[in-house]
Amino acid sequence: MLRKKVESVIMEVQKPARYMGGEVGSIVKNKENVDVRFAFCFPDIYDVGMSHLGMKILYSLINERENYWCERVFAPWTDFEEVMRREEIPLYGLESFDPIRDFDFIGFTLQYEMSYTNILNMLDLAGVPIFARDRGESLVPIVCAGGPCACNPEPLADFFDLFILGEGEEVNLELMDLYKEMKDKGASRSEFLRAAAQIEGIYVPSLYDIAYHEDGTIASVTPRDNAPTVVKKRVMTDMDKSYYPDNCVVPFTEIVHERVSVEVLRGCIRGCRFCQAGFLYRPFREKSTETICKQAKALCDNSGYDEMSLSSLSTSDHSDIVHMLDELLKYTADRRINMSLPSLRIDNFSEDVLERVTAVRKSGLTFAPEAGTQRLRDVINKNVTEDEVMRTCAIAFAGGYTNVKLYFMLGLPTETDEDIIGIADLAQKVVNLFYDTPNRAKGKVQVSISTATFVPKPFTPFEFEPQVDNEEILRRQNVLRNAITSNKIRASMHVSEVSRMEAVLARGDRRLCDVVYAAWKNGCKLDGWDEYFDGEKWLAAFEECGLTPQFYANRTRSYEEVMPWDHLDYLVSKKFLIRENQKAHQAQTTPSCREHCAGCGANSCLGGACF
Amino acid sequence: MYNRINYRAVFEKTGSAKYISHLDLNRCMQRAIRRADLPAWYTEGFHPHMYLMFSLALSLGAESMCETMDFRLTESIPPQEVMERLNAALPEGLKVHAVVFPKYAAADIGSAVYRVELESSDVQALAAEWDNFAAQPEILMEKKTKRGMKEINIAPMITVLSAEQTEGIFRIFLRLPAGNEANLNVSIVTDAFKKYAEQPFSIVKAIREKIFCLNGEEFS
Ligand code: SF4
Ligand code: SF4
Repeated sequence: MLRKKVESVIMEVQKPARYMGGEVGSIVKNKENVDVRFAFCFPDIYDVGMSHLGMKILYSLINERENYWCERVFAPWTDFEEVMRREEIPLYGLESFDPIRDFDFIGFTLQYEMSYTNILNMLDLAGVPIFARDRGESLVPIVCAGGPCACNPEPLADFFDLFILGEGEEVNLELMDLYKEMKDKGASRSEFLRAAAQIEGIYVPSLYDIAYHEDGTIASVTPRDNAPTVVKKRVMTDMDKSYYPDNCVVPFTEIVHERVSVEVLRGCIRGCRFCQAGFLYRPFREKSTETICKQAKALCDNSGYDEMSLSSLSTSDHSDIVHMLDELLKYTADRRINMSLPSLRIDNFSEDVLERVTAVRKSGLTFAPEAGTQRLRDVINKNVTEDEVMRTCAIAFAGGYTNVKLYFMLGLPTETDEDIIGIADLAQKVVNLFYDTPNRAKGKVQVSISTATFVPKPFTPFEFEPQVDNEEILRRQNVLRNAITSNKIRASMHVSEVSRMEAVLARGDRRLCDVVYAAWKNGCKLDGWDEYFDGEKWLAAFEECGLTPQFYANRTRSYEEVMPWDHLDYLVSKKFLIRENQKAHQAQTTPSCREHCAGCGANSCLGGACF
Repeated sequence: MYNRINYRAVFEKTGSAKYISHLDLNRCMQRAIRRADLPAWYTEGFHPHMYLMFSLALSLGAESMCETMDFRLTESIPPQEVMERLNAALPEGLKVHAVVFPKYAAADIGSAVYRVELESSDVQALAAEWDNFAAQPEILMEKKTKRGMKEINIAPMITVLSAEQTEGIFRIFLRLPAGNEANLNVSIVTDAFKKYAEQPFSIVKAIREKIFCLNGEEFS
């Protein structure tokens, strides 16, 4: 038995609890009574994956069905991978210790581009052929993926049998139902895939032929076997009726987020032009306070966690936020549960909200103005003014805060040195404000600036924009460094090939599958971990395949160009994206969805206006 | 002011629970107490936390039938009920055998008894080697002390209570010093024997069976 084999070697590795399962809330079924087995794979290590909300939802959702069994699978850390390869331990599900190569579905969640090589490595550890075309005609296993990066799955198209677009609560079960039906009938893999392609939200890449122009851009995408010309993402239209778990797996070992996640809303009303999530998850839909409180209480009671996070893209945009926090506090305060709002926005951060969040425990404040000048903030449609930043910091300082973290991006479209110096100026003004606050807390103020390199993403108005190359980013970092004069300001920035690889993979086409494969063959894995990312190996992979990263990352794309993801429909129209891109170049802002509908098209799923 | 009633849970840590580190055990128990909805007593001050005390650390990977955890409740609840509620909230491998009002303090602990089971193709040869091993006047092993790694003679610290062979298994009962004054992990003994023995073996089990006080009474 595999469990025994693992036990005999597991003490050789760090944190064995990552690999042993048995946690409170994990679901073990009798496989005799199970018809369809699903291996939910998170392509990063346990500590990261166990914090992920989508996995918690789908894990419980699938397991609610008596005859379906979903198990968790994570990438092993390098020490355990070595042991697995040495002892020939195949990748297994944490619940059953059965090899996942025998499961009906192997489903990955695509959360970030730099996890792609982990997927190949995990398939390899599982003993599953890496290329979909090598998996033969038997049904088992169907290798699929969903999550935000599935909006442009082309750089992974050759490795997957199908992709699930949009929100998975309904479509996952529909897919499994179809599978069970066809398995009972003895269908082949290709028969199943052809049928699956008829489900809304299912994209079967092998049913689409891609033709290229001589310059490397896409000429056409042609569906076969009745597959739809355009595959539309799935949306849960009523968040109060949408499935939400009342329990979760509680890990033994420490993970990234040690807390219950209560999802309060989906989508975002803002439309910041760099933000993929803001467009991908449209339209904005919120849960009622009543639903939120009910779900929060059940999760806390069942898990025993003493921290709860209200998660969403922008929790303070909930229309009933103050009342909701009051209602939640009634429950959390005397149970010593700490409430955290990871996505507070700088412009609607009110005193009321602050008071309620700090009622239990105080932590640092983080804000993301993203750009240093009003002009550039208008370009990116970050509807935040300097006054608002100052007002919010004033409230925070008066409320006892001494640490402020400010997030910015470098390399945004139209950025000039003036915008960069504006970052330092803004930070300095925050420092000055602290010392001007009469009832400030004792001690020093600390303003941290963190800058990330801008990565243009699909389904945003900036999908047409080139990424600024590394040399220029370095120069811009120096401009910023030289503009900072106070020792109360700490700036963390580093340049690496990572941002460029993200830009490449985010907007890449199907030809990149060979690059991803070559990179993995060259030894790339755990690319999301600084200590493992190796830009040289990636560049070598490009060379081997006769492609360049510049083509994907640093090239301006015309509005007419066929994007690798144009046959996927995330409800936001390309016309709208072009309109927003043009407005960006004129530094014109677009009001939030709550103020005024900008006509993106996402309301089509609701059968009426969003608000 | 809240009431403050001291309780002690005696529990086993076996199976996959043996991979829970000491630090993680604390967190795990806190959550179990919360799930059991027991009125735990929290420390006062700026960062209140649930009061929990484990009397004797157990090394990662080792099993035990006699771990103890001290905690406090703000209401008086019958120990039997506390035990049942905890057990309903605990994962497999962690099971409370008794909840008592503490009699001894952690400082009273003097020794612990372990059961070690070794598997080998030739148990008889292994048993003979063990006898020779245990009879040595000096067994030098590296041991972590407060002042870093130090080589010490562990031979006088080992008391062999019994040793027996059954179907491919060699079973030894050992008494080792435990507690504040002197402490010897069972893994150091098995490591020493591994270095000594020519007959290859694997460790099937190394389990702490009982904890005793310096006065010879069982710790409770
Ligand atoms: S507020 Fe802006 S950056 Fe934040 S999620 Fe919404 S669109 Fe994205
Ligand atoms: S349809 Fe209008 S209101 Fe709805 S998401 Fe699009 S822009 Fe916003």
